[in-house]
Order: sequence, then structure tokens, then C-alpha cells
Amino acid sequence: MFSERELERYKRQMMLFGEEGQERLKKAHIFIAGAGGLGSPISIYLAVAGVGTITIVDMDVVDQSNLNRQILHFDRDVGRKKTASAEEKLRELNPDITVNAIDVKIEDSNAVNLIGKADGIVDAMDNYPTRYLLNDVAIAKEIPLFHGGIRGFYGQATTIIPGITPCLKCIFPKAPPREVFPVVGVTPGIIGTIQANEVIKYLLGSGELLTNRLFIWDGMEAHAEELCVERNPACEACSGMTATKNPARKTK
Amino acid sequence: MQWHDRNKKPREEDEMTVKIRFFARFRELLGTDIVTDVAPGTMFTSLIMTIAQKNPAGYAAIFDDKGTFHEFVILMKNGKRIEIADAAKTPVVDGDEIAVFPPVAGG
Repeated sequence: MFSERELERYKRQMMLFGEEGQERLKKAHIFIAGAGGLGSPISIYLAVAGVGTITIVDMDVVDQSNLNRQILHFDRDVGRKKTASAEEKLRELNPDITVNAIDVKIEDSNAVNLIGKADGIVDAMDNYPTRYLLNDVAIAKEIPLFHGGIRGFYGQATTIIPGITPCLKCIFPKAPPREVFPVVGVTPGIIGTIQANEVIKYLLGSGELLTNRLFIWDGMEAHAEELCVERNPACEACSGMTATKNPARKTK
Repeated sequence: MQWHDRNKKPREEDEMTVKIRFFARFRELLGTDIVTDVAPGTMFTSLIMTIAQKNPAGYAAIFDDKGTFHEFVILMKNGKRIEIADAAKTPVVDGDEIAVFPPVAGG
């Protein structure tokens, strides 16, 4: 059930998917790995949409050089833990949801427990080793992984449903070298917003997900396109795996 | 697939054109939608190597110093994945559309 305040808050989107759709968002728990460039728009949009429980994990402190893109953090937050800053902003954006902000490095030893019973994982990381770890947990738990990556004016996104679609290792078997990547804030703004849009559609069980497709954004050309991607039968992460759960949350 | 460029000129009997699409960093360094003539028997790797050599930084982004694709580079031909190990012996033929891109890693 919704309070008067919630009904008013979500009025304009309940015109799209009704109280039932809103209830689906409210009951959901989404895990966001990273409170940086991608994690900012993802968490902001999921919070204001009314995703009931958001867990957001980051190990960093806000640096002045983050502020050109990490819109969850303000100038006054420089030197604060990103999780403290994120929790404060998200709670102010929507006091009717639960925000768990966890200040820890996502590692082999803690990833399964951190993700817990979340309904989906959003990849807002800045490196492939951690992404592969999220991919493994998504496969083990049979929950979707909403992938995004950015560099400069370029970005990519895809939605991974383990056992159904290619996993991250099918698409990108080898990590590129680490680098201090150039970036302008609009790029994670665009890609993170696409990831949040995917999460909302997944939770609602409606629309066409970005599955089996790698969305590629070229901000310089203002051009988006997609490449078809396929499962790798020899994938070291997901080969032989078949989904046992109903992938779509549709209840037609 | 669109082939705006192909019909612009009369085609020779055995002329073959392929289109190469680079993405992200590779696109910054080498451009994209490169339509080029290829000789019969041209292989995937040698074609990309020829194109990439126009810019040393572009070449270094895609190939290691032994002339092998960096292991993270993704290769596709007509929407199908080509393994790096197979690229040197994968021929390209008229009308092929080739995509070469790196995983984008930032967040």
C-alpha cells in the first residue's frame, strides 16, 4: 500500500504502469556496484522512480576531480566517503525508499553476501576484474546484470540475463588494460540512464530489454547503434548454464 | 546494412569492397565506416593491419609489437564474432562488414 505522499510522488509514472507497476518497483531490491559516474544517474533515477530498496557500494572518497561527472556528489562532499554522500542525497531525493550504502571494496570474499537477495545487479564499476566478479554472482544467483561502460564520449550498455543471453565474459572475454580514462559527465549520464531504464523495464516486466544486443553510443556523432551479441558455448563463466527461473518478470 | 558507396562507380569484374567500422578509442584514432577495395584472398588480420598502419597510435591501440591483436580486442564480421586466433586465416569477401572495438571500461 502507498501513502498519500507516495501516490502523489509517483502520480505521473503511475499513468504509465499503474499502482501495480509501482508496487513492483517498491518491492524490488537493486544492487548498484559503484557510486561514481554511472552509479550517480543510476541511483538517482532508481531512487526517484521508487525502487523500494537500493544497495549502493563504493570504497572511495569524493575527490574534486570526480565532480565533472559524479553528480551524486557536491563540492561540499570532497573528502567524504562516497557512500555517506550517496546515502544522504538519495534519502533526500526520496525518503520513502530504503537506501543501504556500504563502504567496502567488492571482492571475491564478500560479493555474494553483499548482493544478498537483490533482484538485480547494476554494473557501475570502472574496471573489468570487478565486473567479471559481478557477472559470476549474477550467474550464480540467476539475477540480471545491467552492464554499462564509458570512455570519453563513448559508451556501451547491455542487459545480461544469465542462461538466456550472453554473459559479460561471452561478450568481452578479456579485460582491457587499466587506465585513467578521459570522460565528460554527459556520457555516464546517458549510459547510466539507459541502465536505469533497463532496470525499471525489467522490474515492470514490460518492454524490450537490451538483451543479446550491445548498445553503443558515440556522443561525438550523436549516434547510437547496436551489435548483436551471442552466447559463447565455450564461455568460462556461463557455458552449459541454462536458466531455471522465469527470466522475465511478466505476469500477463 | 547500407551500402551507399558501392554503386557510385562502375565495378570491375573482380573488384571487392568491404566496410570497416571502428568503435570508441579505435574510432578516435582511425575514423570509421572505411570502405576499401580488397584483393581476393585478403585475410581479416592483414586488412585491419593495413588500415591501422595509417596511424601509429591507432595501430598500437589494436596490435601488439608482434603484430597480433591485443587480447581484449573484439572482432566481428557481418555481426558474427571472429576469434583472434582465427582472424589471420579468415578471408574477407565482397560486401563484408567488419567491426573492431575495445571493451569500454570506465564508469
